Amino acid sequence: MNIFKKKVTVATNEFNQVVVGNSLTKDAWRRLKKNKMAVIGMVVVIFYSLIAAFAGLLPIYPYDEIILDHQHLPPSLTKNAGELMRVKKMEDLYAKAWRAGRLVVTEEQDAQLKQWVKDNQNNKVWEFCYAEGEAQRAAGTFAFNSSEQRTIDRLEEKIATELQVTVKHVYWTNPETSKRYDVQKMDYKEMLELYAKMFNVSPQAVEEQTEMEIRAQLLNSIKATAPDFTDEEYAGMVEDELKKLGEKGYDSLASQNIYGKIVTQSRRVVEQELKTIVSDTDTKFPLKETFGVGNDMTAQVEASKKHERRYFLGTDYSGRDMLSRIIYGGQVSIAIGFVGTLTSVLIGIVLGAIAGYVGGKTDYFLMRFVDIMYGLPYMLLVIICMAVFGRNILNLFFALALVSWLTIARMVRGQIMSLKNQEFVEAARSMGASTGRIIFKHLVPNSLSVIIVYSTLRIPAFIMQESFLSFLGLGVQAPYASWGSLVGDAVASMTLYPWKLFFPALAMIIFLFAMNFLGDGLRDAFDPQSKNQL
Amino acid sequence: MTKYIIRRLLGIIPTLFIIVTLSFFIVRIAPGGPFDGERALPEVVKRNIEAKYHLDEPVIQQYGRYLFDVLRGDLGPSYKYKDHDVNYFIAASLPNSIVLGLISMMLALVFGISAGVIAAVKQNTWVDYTAMALAIVGISIPLFVISPIMQYVFAMKLKWFPTSGWFTSGGGWRSVVLPAIALSFSYFADVARLTRSSMLETLRSDYIRTAKAKGMRNSTIIFKHTMKGAMLPIVSYLGPAFAGILTGSVVVEQVFRVPGLGKFFVQSSFNRDYTLIIGVVIVYSVILVIMNFIVDIVYAQLDPRITYK
Repeated sequence: MNIFKKKVTVATNEFNQVVVGNSLTKDAWRRLKKNKMAVIGMVVVIFYSLIAAFAGLLPIYPYDEIILDHQHLPPSLTKNAGELMRVKKMEDLYAKAWRAGRLVVTEEQDAQLKQWVKDNQNNKVWEFCYAEGEAQRAAGTFAFNSSEQRTIDRLEEKIATELQVTVKHVYWTNPETSKRYDVQKMDYKEMLELYAKMFNVSPQAVEEQTEMEIRAQLLNSIKATAPDFTDEEYAGMVEDELKKLGEKGYDSLASQNIYGKIVTQSRRVVEQELKTIVSDTDTKFPLKETFGVGNDMTAQVEASKKHERRYFLGTDYSGRDMLSRIIYGGQVSIAIGFVGTLTSVLIGIVLGAIAGYVGGKTDYFLMRFVDIMYGLPYMLLVIICMAVFGRNILNLFFALALVSWLTIARMVRGQIMSLKNQEFVEAARSMGASTGRIIFKHLVPNSLSVIIVYSTLRIPAFIMQESFLSFLGLGVQAPYASWGSLVGDAVASMTLYPWKLFFPALAMIIFLFAMNFLGDGLRDAFDPQSKNQL
Repeated sequence: MTKYIIRRLLGIIPTLFIIVTLSFFIVRIAPGGPFDGERALPEVVKRNIEAKYHLDEPVIQQYGRYLFDVLRGDLGPSYKYKDHDVNYFIAASLPNSIVLGLISMMLALVFGISAGVIAAVKQNTWVDYTAMALAIVGISIPLFVISPIMQYVFAMKLKWFPTSGWFTSGGGWRSVVLPAIALSFSYFADVARLTRSSMLETLRSDYIRTAKAKGMRNSTIIFKHTMKGAMLPIVSYLGPAFAGILTGSVVVEQVFRVPGLGKFFVQSSFNRDYTLIIGVVIVYSVILVIMNFIVDIVYAQLDPRITYK
């Protein structure tokens, strides 16, 4: 029986040249490669996806690290945060001096400045006063008074000495065996003892304190999701929650709590120690070292000068780095786009295939349901769901995936209906293949090219919908970011801080462009006759 | 035809019934009630409020009451704004949204069809490429990005138009320009692409060749013969476009502070003002369903090849 084996024969034409068969995908790939825009689009999409996938390995600042001193720093390729802070302070001082009449400007300039103030364009006032003030100070016609000078000196000292210390690991060395243990991996009881020793208190007191804190923490999280109950009801809920956690869950919460405190204390000790050597010019920052923090404990820390950071794309209202927020925001957006499309396509394939193959009443009801859903403003339903069930990434994802399988279901149904009466299906059926096998082994793979093309065009739409909700404040919530929420955060203050709007918008537009070109290219490649259609 | 219209009208009923039911129950199964403020109310007060809004009844009874009220055209009281009911807010804001939506739709159609026709007639020239590049831009830039950027460039930097406001609140016609253009942008792009491809297809058909062979003027062929046939896909696109414009107006009204329905919708979804949320969704759905109905009828009228039984 060799009809099940693939017979490999080399076909030759009349000139005895080998003729190689060309599969549909191979043919499509050849056509796609000819389409320049689609190839560029593909390269861009791959680049974005790689960055999003390996965001954790990139040398960027954490996306949720809040440094209040660095609020709203403008993007700069040359200046570091300290220099920008200094400029900002000086701008402020010069503008104040102008208002007090100490920075003398010509009458025309004065009128112009007042107009800017009236138009709410304070950044122009600052810019002008800074340029003018620096020039006058260099020429000797303007000098800071003593209190201003003191402010500047204090700022400069702060810029020169302040450190950002991050504790990576805390270790405890057993004095008897001199073996080193990672504190984070210890269990709750051991951690408790270390902590008690560190602060010189009894373990019981620590235990009680921790329990109180965990209860408070649980209460807060319950209150956030279910507001407005009486205090007794809340107390009951907390008990329920504790019971649900069990001993193991409780211990892990408690050890997280204590570990956090140990880290804070270690950081404090290290900061004290570093203060003495920061002015020492021999020490190179950023440094990565291990310091003893007392009681046989050591902390491995990374310390860098806080104000030597560089923000190429500026910072936001909490001093978070825009570059890393855009990258991590892209990660969220792209992930939701890909995974959401995949989910909705899977739902659509299954339902569409069943409707198309089984037909009859199943088909009728499924398609009437799809028709009715089509008639609804379903984005509004998604908004209701987000408002009602809480705004987090998971809800967003489900709400979107549940309404976006409609078109693909219709398409797959159409494909399957046109395929199901062909000979190869009949052959399969006559050989006793089950319905499931026929659908998923024969029919679905044959309509895959349509599905792939549609999915690629679906991804940008999905990303746009996700970002649309996040823009309205109904999607991804801080500290997480998505492109939509970044744009949404920026809109209110875009006159003063335009970089907060432009960079995320640009990142997003480039990706959507690339995705659309790639989708168009794929469609043309798989179905050359559709070249001139939408 | 009359039969078809009647059947389509009957088909509207289940759609509206489903939307009312869906939104009613989504909102009811939500954790947290509408009167959950930061301040806990005394038990008696809470009970009184619930009795006033019939929230103490079983859900089925509430649902029946709500269905009955909606049938009479009463969308109930607003939970947050105690002095007004939902009908009041909708009456005040719906006209603004409708004006905005219609202007945007007109802009999208007029400019989209013109661009598409020109691009098709001058296929593979720089006109075609420019129009299609513009269309790709329109499709790729989301509404919530184009709106603030237009506001920034044309209102704040160039000062051609006011940054926000509306003509009913003394903004003048200029205040309508930016929101309308922003909202119409992506639909302009879709309409242009659709028109172009459909024009190209029709231009290749036999009856156009016949017309050319008969020596007709080019303009007559394009405007009288080709466009008539090529408009059919545009008409069927109008349905989804209306849905998109309805949803999109939420963003535009937010950015340009237009006192429309969309702004209320976002506000009420933050406030958990349940009756207002459901009310707005019902109004939007009714508009959408009516628009789809009109589109279907127009389509049937335009295309003699379609027969409805």
